[in-house]
Amino acid sequence: MEFWKNISSVVKRELRIWARRPIYFLGTVAVMAFCTVFYLSFLRDGVPSDVPIAVVDMDGSSTSRNFCRQLDATQLGKVVHYDDFTSAREAMQGGKVTSVCVIPEGFNCDLQSRRQPQISFYVNGLYFLGGSLAWKDLLTMVNLCSGAVQREVMRMQGVPDSQMYGLLRPVDVDVHQIGNATMNYGAYLANMMIPGMLQMVIIIVLVYSLGAELKYGTSRHLLDVAGGDVFTAVTGKLALYTLLFTLISWTEVIILYKWMHFPLAGSLGTMLLAGFLLVLASESVAVLIIGCVPVCRFALSIGALYSVLGLSLTGFTLPVEAMPAGLRGLTYMYPLRHYYEIYVNVDVTGHVLALLLFCFLPFLVMRRLEHAYRYLDYARN
Amino acid sequence: MRGTDNYLKRWLRDTLGIFNTELRNILHDGGVMIIFIAAGFFYPILYNFVYKNGILEDTPIAVVDNADCSDSRRMIREMDATREIDIAFKCVSMEEARELFDQRKVNGIIYFPSDFGDAIARSQTATFSIYADMSSFLYYKNLLMGAEFVMLHEINDIKMERYSLENPVVYEDINPYNRAFSYSIFLISAILMLIIQQVMFYGMSMSVGTMREENRSFASLPDSYTGHGVGRVVIGRGAVYWLIFMIIGIYVTCIVPALFRFPQRGNYWEILILLSLFVTVCVFFCMSWSTLVTRRESAFLLFLFMSPVCLFLTGFSWPVTAFPAFWKYFSYLFPSTFGCQAFINMNTAGAELGIIAPQLRALCVQGIVYFVLACVAVYVENFALKHKIDILSV
Repeated sequence: MEFWKNISSVVKRELRIWARRPIYFLGTVAVMAFCTVFYLSFLRDGVPSDVPIAVVDMDGSSTSRNFCRQLDATQLGKVVHYDDFTSAREAMQGGKVTSVCVIPEGFNCDLQSRRQPQISFYVNGLYFLGGSLAWKDLLTMVNLCSGAVQREVMRMQGVPDSQMYGLLRPVDVDVHQIGNATMNYGAYLANMMIPGMLQMVIIIVLVYSLGAELKYGTSRHLLDVAGGDVFTAVTGKLALYTLLFTLISWTEVIILYKWMHFPLAGSLGTMLLAGFLLVLASESVAVLIIGCVPVCRFALSIGALYSVLGLSLTGFTLPVEAMPAGLRGLTYMYPLRHYYEIYVNVDVTGHVLALLLFCFLPFLVMRRLEHAYRYLDYARN
Repeated sequence: MRGTDNYLKRWLRDTLGIFNTELRNILHDGGVMIIFIAAGFFYPILYNFVYKNGILEDTPIAVVDNADCSDSRRMIREMDATREIDIAFKCVSMEEARELFDQRKVNGIIYFPSDFGDAIARSQTATFSIYADMSSFLYYKNLLMGAEFVMLHEINDIKMERYSLENPVVYEDINPYNRAFSYSIFLISAILMLIIQQVMFYGMSMSVGTMREENRSFASLPDSYTGHGVGRVVIGRGAVYWLIFMIIGIYVTCIVPALFRFPQRGNYWEILILLSLFVTVCVFFCMSWSTLVTRRESAFLLFLFMSPVCLFLTGFSWPVTAFPAFWKYFSYLFPSTFGCQAFINMNTAGAELGIIAPQLRALCVQGIVYFVLACVAVYVENFALKHKIDILSV
């Protein structure tokens, strides 16, 4: 009974702190709201369309102009004409266009006389998405161009249209994108960026909240309110944050999978559970950091370093297996990594257990934290 | 004339005095130094290490060959030989392959239906299917590229064999700046300049916050100096950060790429011109925004989430032409938007100063605007101090 009374007085104390310092509201709710709006609206198109492709048409024949029109008509590409290769190359180097397509002089003439004219395209692989989409678009169009010419030749030879496709395209591929059928880049990124930002916010805010007690010398007051027990003090503080962050996390899950209808391999219930565990695990990491380094600003710097790197180490952009061997194991030190594995629906039970294991981390540093709170025995500067 | 001479002298003396005080402050502040050194020097190395390989090779794929004909077997062999695909499992049924897929032992499935060989023999279109794991786009890219290359090759072979029909149009595709579509070249090029801006911002905010906590102000002059010029404060303080970040900047933009054997196609002196302009703009940018920070740590709580946002706003991944209008204008707020673009174009694509003129112009405009804002901030702060108005109490 005493325990619960103490917890409730710690919670009340924390609520008073929140009311006095708007930074807690700004750092959690406002930041997450901004991130959600940003990632969902910035990438709302899913796939970029009308990527600028420079075309240097040195032929100027009806065939080459037709090719440019067709290229322009694709959803991915938008043709920008340049008079000479140098200016087109400079536009590509300046990032104005993603690729340059050169149609050589005498293209039509060579085509008619079967001398195999060569179309060259230069792709800027530094702007990854734009570059690879332009490359794909150009490759498709050049192959279609070949097919169109062959079709004309065959028509002239009297091949009926019903047999044409099999002759022109003896092999075809049927592509299925499992888990993101529309190739929605927004869904792909927002799915992990938003929980990633949540992990970052939880670690930073909680490290600050626990560290601020030390910094402003209020830790003894906190212990007094908690009846002299550091476990009660931390639990009381965490209870309130867990409530807040779980609410945020569940709101995000519902926004992503119910409102935006982003693809989901598992069930909504699993994601809600994963969201809750992500909150618990991230909080535990925060307690571990401030417990190991009970100096507010050092702990914050470490928390920042840790959580920013977490976005890369989750492996949803560059997969973990492409990272150096020494780093692969380290990726499991991030709650977000387990959340990701639960999202892609691999060994859900295992990763749920792993996230639960994180919750034991605070017990490792409880004694150190108690010492710091009670005797303020840490480096001041 | 004597008056102007005195004014100039005093101006210089005051500026130098502020410069010294600020430099001493920074050097004595362990927290700020940790940010500058740890983040400025180790972050670029850390990122390079994470993305060291940059290329995902031999994605494990399961194949289900119901056709079991010479064509499908040849295609499977050829796919296995590509850089992108590794045929890790040959399954007897889709169920088996799907199980491997669900356990993530493979990141894709290639399926040849039983009529594949017959269709080729009958001169019909023979269709095979690929199922790609979309949990990372690189899996999809590898499977698609590997399968398509083999397919195009096969198509040409069949056409040639049957009616010696060669492709009427041939093509050559050249990817001059990032040959293998390496993830690291594309990401690191964008990240390097951003690190400079973000590290400076967190460092400066920390220092401003500390001063405010200790009831000093970044805007007021040290007591021993009599002058009261806004310009002196802005330039004197700015010069300290400028110097520190030119050192970090040269390390980040010139030494780090060399250490990790990154393409360095730009001219060294031209990159230095870009860097000095960028650092100047960053100094004024950070001075303007750090005014909002009232406590030592609040910058992390309020602005850490901006780092990935700024990274996306450089347009390194989602192309600038596809930005929604609002975010496009929003991106103009940050020096990193133009600095990163200019650096990618110069350092990695070998652009000259003339080509990146639009970005340089934009940086100049930002520089002027933020200089004025920084001056206004100092003026307002001084005014508030004099009249004891509490403007910010976050």
